[in-house]
Amino acid sequence: MLRTQFIAVAIDQAYQRRQQDAEGEFYRKIAGQGPRSNFQSTTQGFYIASADGTLLLYNNNRDPEKLNRLMQQRLQEFKVPSAVTPISPGTLDARYNPSPPKGGCVVRVQARVLGGYLPTTDRWKKIFQSSLSRDNLWISAAEQQALTKGQVTQSLQQRIVRFHLVDNTRGEPPMWKKEEIRQLKITFDGTTLRGTVHLETADGKRGYEAQLLGKIEVRGGKVVLFDMVADGSFWGQGPYSGIAPKGRFPLAVGFRLADGTDAADQIPPQASRGWVQGYIR
Amino acid sequence: MYRPYLPALALTLTICLPGFISLSSAEEVLTEQRFRQLHKQLQPADDELWRTIPWRTSLLDAQRRAITEKKPIFIWAMDGHPLGCT
Repeated sequence: MLRTQFIAVAIDQAYQRRQQDAEGEFYRKIAGQGPRSNFQSTTQGFYIASADGTLLLYNNNRDPEKLNRLMQQRLQEFKVPSAVTPISPGTLDARYNPSPPKGGCVVRVQARVLGGYLPTTDRWKKIFQSSLSRDNLWISAAEQQALTKGQVTQSLQQRIVRFHLVDNTRGEPPMWKKEEIRQLKITFDGTTLRGTVHLETADGKRGYEAQLLGKIEVRGGKVVLFDMVADGSFWGQGPYSGIAPKGRFPLAVGFRLADGTDAADQIPPQASRGWVQGYIR
Repeated sequence: MYRPYLPALALTLTICLPGFISLSSAEEVLTEQRFRQLHKQLQPADDELWRTIPWRTSLLDAQRRAITEKKPIFIWAMDGHPLGCT
């Protein structure tokens, strides 16, 4: 149904409800007709709207049968609006429209908890327990150039461990502060990257100890292969990534160069949200 | 009284669940074989249902297509991008 009868769009509403441009205005026009019309807080959920911005449905229920039934109903009621013109993007709100670094590259990052959960019959817990997360690592032009010379800059090392060695398999994760990097050692011989990392909060309630192994190839001044894995034990959770396994549990994080064929390749890194300069300079 | 033979059990688990055993101590080295195995395990399957949907990431792009194709817009709006992060 989504493939054939709707135009499907996926957004992080933390951007659209704030951004001061045509896209933000159109989103707020739609969402403002629903129950979550206070744009100072989350407006997350599923919306169905017509091209003129008329809200046809708001729902924030994860039950697929219920959502499917509501979608069918709205399709039957849908009338194509007359005389609607495409909205021009106009001047974009730069803060909420970050682009991948010019001359740099994008690497897909995916994490999975490999064990430690108690058995469950709960369908939602089962989904979280087996989920594979997705984020993007942005590498700047200067960092890419350094890689072609067999160097992993400090800025890239820090970005990888602080913003991408996280457990984001059950929700938005807390990132690591600089002072939470207890140990970080990375070596790179031009093709193979090896490393060890120890991340831990001051109170010791959350941490990750892992080894890194990566295969990186460069050609013509560009990275053409960036396959890397972090493998180790994690402990703790964040306010939005609860129901983690008790104690230490195995967490692996995989990296692969994005080729632009996946819509998610365009998504800004989670840690850049609202302040891209804090993520990459 | 039945007493499980723990070393045998551990070996059995290691053989049966090689993809689900992680490094447990700093002394163990992340081998090339395990790296390849894990890297493969950390890629999504191409035929996962949600990946077969032509998601757009621009609401205005979706609005233009909705006019052209005379269809309603379905918006999946989350905290954290639905196609990334969570």
